[in-house]
Amino acid sequence: MNAPPGAPVPREEAVSPRRWGPLPLRVLVPAIVVGLFALLVGSTALGSVPIPAGTTISIFFYQLTGGFVPSAACPGSVASHQCAIWTEIVWQARVPSLVLALAAGAALAISGGSLQGIFRNPLADPFLLGLSSGAALGAAAIFVLDVDPAHQATLLPLAAFLGGIVPGAVIYLAATLSRRGPTVLILSGVALSTFFSAILSAMLLYNPSSDVSLNFWLLGSLGATSWSDDGLVVGVTLVLGTVLYLRAREINLLQLGPEVAQSLGVRPQRTIQWTVLLTTAITATAVAFTGIIGFVGLIAPHLVRRLAGVDYRIVLPLGALMGGIVLLVAWDVAVAAIPPIVIPVGIPTAFIGAPFLIYLLYRRRAPGGSAIDT
Amino acid sequence: MSAPDAATLRVDRLTVRYGGRTALADVSLSARSGELVALTGPNGSGKSTLLRAVMGLIAPQGGSVRVEGANVPELELIERARRVAWAPQEEPVGENVSILEYVRFGRHPHLAPFANEGPADHAAVERALRRVDFWEERSRGVAELSGGERQRVRLARVLAQETPLLLLDEPTAFLDIGHQLDALERVHTIARQERRCAVVALHDLNLAARFADRIVVLSHGRCVASGTPKEVLSPELLADVWGIVADLRWDPVTGLPYLLPVLPMDRPPLAGTVGPRPMARVHVIAGGGSGSELIPRLAREGFEVSVGAVHLFDSDAELGERLGVAMATEMPFTAISPPVAHHLETLLEACDAVVVAPVPTGSGNLANWSILAGWAGRRPIALLPMPREPAWDFTGGAATRLREELLRLGGEEVGGVDDVVRWLRARLPDAATRSSRPSG
Repeated sequence: MNAPPGAPVPREEAVSPRRWGPLPLRVLVPAIVVGLFALLVGSTALGSVPIPAGTTISIFFYQLTGGFVPSAACPGSVASHQCAIWTEIVWQARVPSLVLALAAGAALAISGGSLQGIFRNPLADPFLLGLSSGAALGAAAIFVLDVDPAHQATLLPLAAFLGGIVPGAVIYLAATLSRRGPTVLILSGVALSTFFSAILSAMLLYNPSSDVSLNFWLLGSLGATSWSDDGLVVGVTLVLGTVLYLRAREINLLQLGPEVAQSLGVRPQRTIQWTVLLTTAITATAVAFTGIIGFVGLIAPHLVRRLAGVDYRIVLPLGALMGGIVLLVAWDVAVAAIPPIVIPVGIPTAFIGAPFLIYLLYRRRAPGGSAIDT
Repeated sequence: MSAPDAATLRVDRLTVRYGGRTALADVSLSARSGELVALTGPNGSGKSTLLRAVMGLIAPQGGSVRVEGANVPELELIERARRVAWAPQEEPVGENVSILEYVRFGRHPHLAPFANEGPADHAAVERALRRVDFWEERSRGVAELSGGERQRVRLARVLAQETPLLLLDEPTAFLDIGHQLDALERVHTIARQERRCAVVALHDLNLAARFADRIVVLSHGRCVASGTPKEVLSPELLADVWGIVADLRWDPVTGLPYLLPVLPMDRPPLAGTVGPRPMARVHVIAGGGSGSELIPRLAREGFEVSVGAVHLFDSDAELGERLGVAMATEMPFTAISPPVAHHLETLLEACDAVVVAPVPTGSGNLANWSILAGWAGRRPIALLPMPREPAWDFTGGAATRLREELLRLGGEEVGGVDDVVRWLRARLPDAATRSSRPSG
């Protein structure tokens, strides 16, 4: 049954690396992209001001295509000043929040997926490891220190990054110096996270500029955003996410253990260092504009692994899209749950994420390489 | 590249220290393409360390490792990975990738940065998978494989790396005997057919003898022997390096040596087993197979056993030989001569107790009884009961009379082998410290 070694490989066989996983990519990728876009368009209808769904959708497409036909934005029955207000609400308030949901969801999912890969730990997540709270603390410092609002927009992500560096360094050291298994790493992260959240709460009590609510950072919100903020988050996530994606093959090899990875030409420490640094930066940028949103980075990569297999060259990009979907759904719930109040988006993610985490903790049989490297 | 070198691997005076401990000291070896070199030695002798150092995973404190002339520590990681492939004894199971994806990991060193696999890579992966007969099953997940299957798939990953040198650390660990043979047969064939050089850490000497072109023996981080299996394996080496007594035999079919380990004799009983310590010495009078159960049992229980007098080629004499116990032996078909009688006396002098097996007695070995009668009262003597059938006394009643006299003079009849052990324990408590000897 064996072909002699060196026999020409039939072309069809060579190109048939059918990914091991329930769904082939040619089905999965279009499905996710279409689903994501449909969700984005549909979500424009949700908000505290009641606007008919058909109208928000036509406003969305009208704006998206550059608005060549002004009258097409709203149906004829809508007065033009009404249409202008609705357009303002949809395009300047709702859609920026939705785009931020996509970008931040992608950022958290890329971070979570990469961290799960380098630490061979299915529980890794920027929130559970304390990266998010560290970044939130850094960002909150900008407000508390009463920085000139003109510089706030630029300083915010930088401060968040600096805040994230501390837990980033701690988890890096915890993961590389001690080989105590996945749960210990996560518990260290949770301890850090609790610690930073406590400082954040203390800042909140002594906040001199009482008009800015730091509650925002504790549970996450996508409401107060603008196109320029979105641009920054989208840009950073795209650029740094691409850099991380280029290391996906190395992250794959790390699954075989650091020594085998090194025998195959990868410097494990360097890959881990770069990945921690990049995920810290990506997470910090998202957190600077959204606050602390937990579990998205945990859930999205797991869904992708379930659907498409475990190659990180797939997990990272598809995970980014999936993260966008997860956070978008969470945001829709946050907006629509108790109208007209918009609840913090961290609440719905926690409602999904906490049971999911417990599920992962109890599903100890053959967890993706988790309990092995103790 | 430096001057052409026939050897694929050349390790020269390699020294590796961990903290204060010297893991490898001045180890030199070389291996050519097409050759399977077995690296063997007791646990902790430095086999895995040597493979790791050759792979460049450990920085040596001295010496050099050259692969096809290139100095491994000076090579970029990716360059090393194109020359040397390494399979550890165990690997984290990792994510449940398919076998195909797993073996594809071996192509990493050949891919340009950030590139994906091309046709050449797919072909190499297919070749490797076909070599281990896993091509048809390539879409199975690695987490679902059995230990033996995982070893084969790991071999495929290493083969897909297409390196001149393969380092395999215990590729037969956790495998049953059939899979052990299968695994080494494959490595052997691959090395020969593809002109690769395989250095394999193996602790099973019989496998090493059967499949290796050459064997390198490490002990305490030093290379103590190297050569063909015939040259290297000797009872002395086995005793020195592994501390075992072994029957070394020759397979008449392959002409290769194989060995049959014998229970280690001069070691104290394992911690936790109750036994006189240091060993009490027990002399056994046996012959004609009457000691076949008793003698090994006493050795296993931690007694130091001596046997005699017995005739050469008697089954109990051969048993004693295999176990390496002290024996007084007489030539076949002759009565016990004065020198042998004297030898027996010295063994009785040295022992702490005597056990008499139901030994068939004729004129040839009647002297055992008469000599032992002189020791009644000087050493505790236990006698196993004689069988009613078949007859054991071929001396016209002389042996029976001597036996009865022994019983009268204090010899005790003990029901069976278990009872003998109990009887000895009761008479030879741990305090019997007279025959102290250095422990292995």
